[in-house]
Amino acid sequence: MGRVLTKTHVKSPDEAPRVQLAKTATGIHGFDEITDGGLPTARPSLVCGPPGTGKSIFAMQFLVNGATRFAEPGVFLTFEESADELVANVRSLGFDIDGLTRDGRLLVDALPLEPQSVQTGEFNLEALIVRLAWAVEQIGAKRVAIDNVEALFIAFDRPALVRSELRRLFRWLKDHDLTTVITAERGEDMLTRHGMEEYLSDCVVLLDHRVVHDVATRRMRVLKYRGSTHGRNEYPFLIGADGFEVLPITSIGLKQPVSSERVSTGVAGLDEMLGGEGVFRGSGVMISGTSGTGKTTIASCFADAACRRGESVLYFSFEESQAEIERNMASVGLDLAQWVEQGLLHFHCERPTTRGLEDHLALMQKLTQEFAPTLVVIDPVSSLARGATPFDVSSMLLRQIYYLKSTGITALMTVLNEEGGLEQPIQSISSLVDTWLHVITMETFEERNRALYVRKARGMAHSNQIREFLLSDDGVSLVPVFVGAKGVLTGSARLAAESAERATSLELTEESEELARALERRRDTVESHVAEIRTDFAAEESLTQRLIETSQLRQEAVRLDRLEQARRRTAIPAEDEK
Amino acid sequence: MSTPAARAAEERAPTAGRLHLTLFINGASPASARSMQRLRDLCDRHCPSAYELEIVDIYQQPELVVSRGVLAVPTLIKELPLPVQVLIGDFTDEQRVLATLGLPAAETTEV
Repeated sequence: MGRVLTKTHVKSPDEAPRVQLAKTATGIHGFDEITDGGLPTARPSLVCGPPGTGKSIFAMQFLVNGATRFAEPGVFLTFEESADELVANVRSLGFDIDGLTRDGRLLVDALPLEPQSVQTGEFNLEALIVRLAWAVEQIGAKRVAIDNVEALFIAFDRPALVRSELRRLFRWLKDHDLTTVITAERGEDMLTRHGMEEYLSDCVVLLDHRVVHDVATRRMRVLKYRGSTHGRNEYPFLIGADGFEVLPITSIGLKQPVSSERVSTGVAGLDEMLGGEGVFRGSGVMISGTSGTGKTTIASCFADAACRRGESVLYFSFEESQAEIERNMASVGLDLAQWVEQGLLHFHCERPTTRGLEDHLALMQKLTQEFAPTLVVIDPVSSLARGATPFDVSSMLLRQIYYLKSTGITALMTVLNEEGGLEQPIQSISSLVDTWLHVITMETFEERNRALYVRKARGMAHSNQIREFLLSDDGVSLVPVFVGAKGVLTGSARLAAESAERATSLELTEESEELARALERRRDTVESHVAEIRTDFAAEESLTQRLIETSQLRQEAVRLDRLEQARRRTAIPAEDEK
Repeated sequence: MSTPAARAAEERAPTAGRLHLTLFINGASPASARSMQRLRDLCDRHCPSAYELEIVDIYQQPELVVSRGVLAVPTLIKELPLPVQVLIGDFTDEQRVLATLGLPAAETTEV
């Protein structure tokens, strides 16, 4: 149901429960989040802003959502446009006013005020309540929108009277429990031109529309919300395919489901740098680099890889036409045309200046919903930033990236950055992307060569190397750059260095082989010497042995001789001895 | 709803570019009753031929209020002769009423 109660945020058990303020959901994406539930139930709320800021659309969407999503019929009382014009205007936003009117869920009371009516004396605006009461009764309305009270002041030119009649009307609306949106023009020094905020103080919403460098950005702020917490910031909003949509950057939840599935980048060497598997499905990928570094080519590789897996890709190009991209990619061996024919690849090419930033993003979301791709390429995202303030761009893009992430679509953005650093808006997007590839050109020896490195890759092991990025007829490849004594080398310098290295290593091989051979020879020599010595020694040994033996024999012989001699000498005595 | 006087006038001059008026009032309000009387007096005094005056109570016929785009009370719509003119207020500014309705400023004597 449309009527919701704000949650009580009980901080401690001792704290008394807060009075709950009944709220009515507007169904406007983002607005209910900011206001913690919607507009105050059974009270009039003021929506004010300069002309063309989307007040009528806000009011109408409040009613249409009430009728279609919360079973609360609504009455739209307008002084501004005829019913036909209004229906035509909002039909483009997908609101089926005619159908809802037929079903009795919506009643549009268009009351073109004719300023040419002649005043002949005193009068009041009793009929305003009469007609509103009649309309509310017709369909059992729970919601009312009055657009725009300023017209009453213009038509009747009696400010005091109109003011008092409006007070009567607001009281009547409250008495009848009608949740109401009143729109009014922004005043010069007051919030509204005729001080409506004095009587409508429960909830005041301010809409604004700024044009900076021809690019329009809409902003919204909840100025006041009696008895309720609300986001106090200025929020950008857009009027897109789904109507009014507030982009509450700061209230973006981080609750989207994540995938741990990895998808190939289509560039073999790049997958390798990203832990060998590519990027996470549904993550945000940014490719930054200066002009002519091959960002579109890498993006096309991603697209080609996705199509190869049978997945669909939506490619937004803001600088090149489809034909140009197809031709250029064919030159590096990427046949994108086949995927277009098979209906897997869908191009949307448009000059960034054809529409405002918010319209671009709204269209992107619309096409994304229609085409339901698994990969969305925005090439380059930086051209959208042209003319817009950094905050606008980053906040809009944050919303866009978040949208894609929350739907599990891989978002690939290329960013053109000028020489010498990143621009502010890009810097702030970079914090939201999961993978950031940076392409650089290296100028060495009269050559420009492309090189790529992974500046950031959340949740995966990734290479810290700078790799040279080669574009050839056969496609795109990454090769490790030459890191030698003279620093990082790419291109022909790399080739030269590599061949020099090869030559050197060849020389070294030869030298060492020579040395080895020399050593071998020396070993042979030494060993032959050793053998000789050993032979000599053996000869000597045997000779010596013989001499020793001879010597021993002679010794024995001598001893025997002595004994013989002695015996002979003592022969006689010997006889005596007998 | 026609006044007897208007009906009488209709009988007398059926083909003339007769004045046809619709007045939206709050039937319960004394101020509305006074302004209705003021208009009748004015028309009776200044209308050379006859006129037709239809009275709509906004609380009785709100659908007419919606279809005729009425906001102010009292509102007088001069239906005929063309062009259609819308007058709001209680007819105290007689000169303006007469000029808008295309009636002569001088009072016409009763026939």
